[in-house]
Amino acid sequence: MTTPLTKVFLVDDHAMVRSGVRAELGDVVEVVGEAADVAEAVAGVRATRPDVVLLDVHLPGGGGRAVLESLRAELPDVRWLALSVSDAAEDVIAVIRAGARGYVTKTISGPDLRDAVARVAEGDVVFSPRLAGFVLDAFSAGPPAPTPEPDVDPGLDLLSAREREVMQLLARGYTYREIGGRLFISVKTVESHASNVLRKLQLSNRNELTRWAATNRLL
Amino acid sequence: MYPVRSPGHDGAVTGTTTLRTAEGPVRPERPPLLRPRGGRVLGGVAAGTADHLRLDPVLVRIGFVLLAVAGVGVVAYALLWFTMKVAPADAPRPARAGGASRRQVAGLVVLGVAALVLSSRLDTWARGDVVVPLVLAGAGLAVIWYQLDTDRVDARSARWGLVVGVLLAGGGVVLLLATTGQLANARNGFVATLVVLVGIGLATAPLWRRLLDSRAQERSARIRSEERAAVAAHLHDSVLQTLALVQKHAGDPAQVTRLARGQERELRSWLYAPSEAAGGTWAGMVRRLVAEVEADHEVTVDPVVVGDVPADEAVDALARATREAVVNAAKHSGTPGVALYSEVTPAAVTVFVRDRGAGFDPAAVPADRRGLRDSVVGRLQRVGGTAVVHSAPGEGTEVELTLPRRTS
Repeated sequence: MTTPLTKVFLVDDHAMVRSGVRAELGDVVEVVGEAADVAEAVAGVRATRPDVVLLDVHLPGGGGRAVLESLRAELPDVRWLALSVSDAAEDVIAVIRAGARGYVTKTISGPDLRDAVARVAEGDVVFSPRLAGFVLDAFSAGPPAPTPEPDVDPGLDLLSAREREVMQLLARGYTYREIGGRLFISVKTVESHASNVLRKLQLSNRNELTRWAATNRLL
Repeated sequence: MYPVRSPGHDGAVTGTTTLRTAEGPVRPERPPLLRPRGGRVLGGVAAGTADHLRLDPVLVRIGFVLLAVAGVGVVAYALLWFTMKVAPADAPRPARAGGASRRQVAGLVVLGVAALVLSSRLDTWARGDVVVPLVLAGAGLAVIWYQLDTDRVDARSARWGLVVGVLLAGGGVVLLLATTGQLANARNGFVATLVVLVGIGLATAPLWRRLLDSRAQERSARIRSEERAAVAAHLHDSVLQTLALVQKHAGDPAQVTRLARGQERELRSWLYAPSEAAGGTWAGMVRRLVAEVEADHEVTVDPVVVGDVPADEAVDALARATREAVVNAAKHSGTPGVALYSEVTPAAVTVFVRDRGAGFDPAAVPADRRGLRDSVVGRLQRVGGTAVVHSAPGEGTEVELTLPRRTS
């Protein structure tokens, strides 16, 4: 990685989880602070200006979403990675829509977590297979996108055929590198597809997405 | 036709034969004397008695009518109606129930006509001006009784019936008082009683209010405690058992992980997706098969399912094939993690089972290794699906299963 250590802030209401995550992150990052609820997190992030905030979806005092909503406009350089045990799709989608750059489950292995933090710190997007599944589910609630040209963005409401392919491969457990090899595109292109999907997820206000989130409380 | 004889009631057979030999050979236990819910003409007294005596109800009814002419029958009927219990709603009942309410109406009309005829004859014996109000009040009471007797009070017709009954009875009483010249007295008494009652009601209003409140509180407390008991029972059967097992296996990390994962999944589905946990859809089947494989093998499977479809035979075959593919990955890949992705589209259900393990050369699999070929490929082909295996030594394996959906 780059020479200055990535500054990470941990937000989780369970001290045990925080210490576990801290141990798994090891010394490749610098943990600048911890918080156990929304108010503490807002104050702590504001004071320490970390690069990456590991944010629990469920928090006393309004949830991870509340932290994001109160700080996102104020601190645009801070990157947010949602970390949760929750399988509830609507919680995850809500945090992503509020501005998180990715979502990983707390069962993630140490190396994978370090990798995810590093990628988010560089501005990438982290899609776990589960999040990719949520995204596909959310966007396939409507008609499928029969887009002939894969690189033309058909608007925020639909995934392009290529983006869909990337999401499917992510859901199948492929890494960006493997996806690039399989689709004969560069890793950077895969990343840009992933960012586009994230952008659509955050900006799209298609009815299906909200309706889907309301009816499919779960994967 | 006859209820199954309950154990510990051996005297019934001899009792039956001594009571009514005309009924022929030995019979099982006599049905209890209850008024049935169906097949009534009036209050079901005759039907119930007939059931109990194992006679045709028509015979019993004729008997009651004959007795009624003599006067005894009416009293007997009323007494029996009053004392016989109503049969429970789920009681087995001889199948004669059709058109019960219409028959009951007919029965009531006949009874009313008979009462009128009787009253006109009574006229000759007693003071007619007393008899008519008495009959009116009696009829009203009968209607009220009849409506309150069964638990049909919710029905609209039953409510109207009650109103009619109350009017009849009230009219009869007023008429009776009027004809006997007691109306003024009764009115004074009534007003006095009313005043006293209202006074008592007002004085004790706070008490009533408290009573109602405490009843409501009691009710919600009971519901809460029942809910808590249900949760406690579930937690006891699942989480506490698992925790005990975890303590016992504290030295065996693999076992502990498996226990924890299995418990986590179970608790999650109980908390968030009770309907899916009950099964019946593809997503539920995937969840279940993953749980089974994880319980039997040292592997963690991360299932991601997009969309869902109700279960049918073909989907069931797909689930079996998927399970086999996951088991194969668990056994032969040599890695602890397997990714399972399934997508349901209008055209097909697709499943990808992927591991990053040893991999193999599909062309070099000996013919006697039947696992993949039979249980995955063959099984799917029988329901019109296809299976493709992508693998190479050192590159992991991915099994792709596709089941086209019939558009029906």
